[in-house]
Amino acid sequence: MSKIKALVVDDSKIMRSAVKRALDNLMLADFEYVEAKDGEDALSKFNEEIEIMFVDWNMPNMTGVEFAQAIREQGNDHIPIIMVTAEKSMGKVDKALNEGGANEYVTKPFTADKMHKAISDYFDEDGKIVGGGDGEEEDKSFFKGILNS
Amino acid sequence: MKLAEIEELEQIPEELVEKVEESVLNTFGSIIGEELKYIEYENGDKPLNGIIGNIAVFNTDHTLSLMLAIPKDTALYFSKVFIGMELPFESDDMGDLVGEISNILAGDVAANVEKVGFRGQSSLPTATRGSDLTLFMPNKPPTKKMKFISDNTEFLLTMVLSESN
Repeated sequence: MSKIKALVVDDSKIMRSAVKRALDNLMLADFEYVEAKDGEDALSKFNEEIEIMFVDWNMPNMTGVEFAQAIREQGNDHIPIIMVTAEKSMGKVDKALNEGGANEYVTKPFTADKMHKAISDYFDEDGKIVGGGDGEEEDKSFFKGILNS
Repeated sequence: MKLAEIEELEQIPEELVEKVEESVLNTFGSIIGEELKYIEYENGDKPLNGIIGNIAVFNTDHTLSLMLAIPKDTALYFSKVFIGMELPFESDDMGDLVGEISNILAGDVAANVEKVGFRGQSSLPTATRGSDLTLFMPNKPPTKKMKFISDNTEFLLTMVLSESN
């Protein structure tokens, strides 16, 4: 099985480890991780091999939403961006999904079940990435976001 | 809710205190999977030997500072339930963990106090290790101290409402 290259962006090393552990435990795919400690760091580490991203919001230098906007502005619309954040207000969820171009929104502290609901549709049975910005109109309503909260 | 000028406030508005208390119970209940209880803070409590997480929810007018004072035993317990292993208390990772817990609490607080008209955003967290630590604020702004306990944890939360600089 080929590995899925996932970018995990969080200023907390503990949280990056928690995200990686949760993903490994879900066994949706065989992951290879690239870690970044803020949006700037993530932009510098981003490359065309990255297939999915898990991004915190509140970070120094460049926030997760600013990073997501930058990625989308570069034309990388096909890569699923999963916000994994402590920000819970309705306005923040809406901003991440609509202005930031994030595909999913998972609030901390997250459970394995919550993470699974958010990302399982992005993987096929062989552990390959499917969907996520395939040109079809996506439902980015606020309600989609809170379903994963 | 329209906050009066800070200098006119003798205490933090009760509706804010209730929302913060609710956030603490929800957030830590989710993290540790235990029911927490709020108990009245007594000044006679022994000095803290532990770690403090600082974070704020702020807007252009007001800042709601939150100081989580976590005793060593509780911090060790948090590390066990949060990441599945007990972190060395003196490690950088422990500071990282307490900062992240503070960040998660502030996210819930920001969403919750918005419901009573305090719209703000979270600062970045900091963590300080030590003993008998006290938060000093200029001009003695309204302050509320709360203590929470569960079967395996106890910690204090000091909240301070001040004018934003």
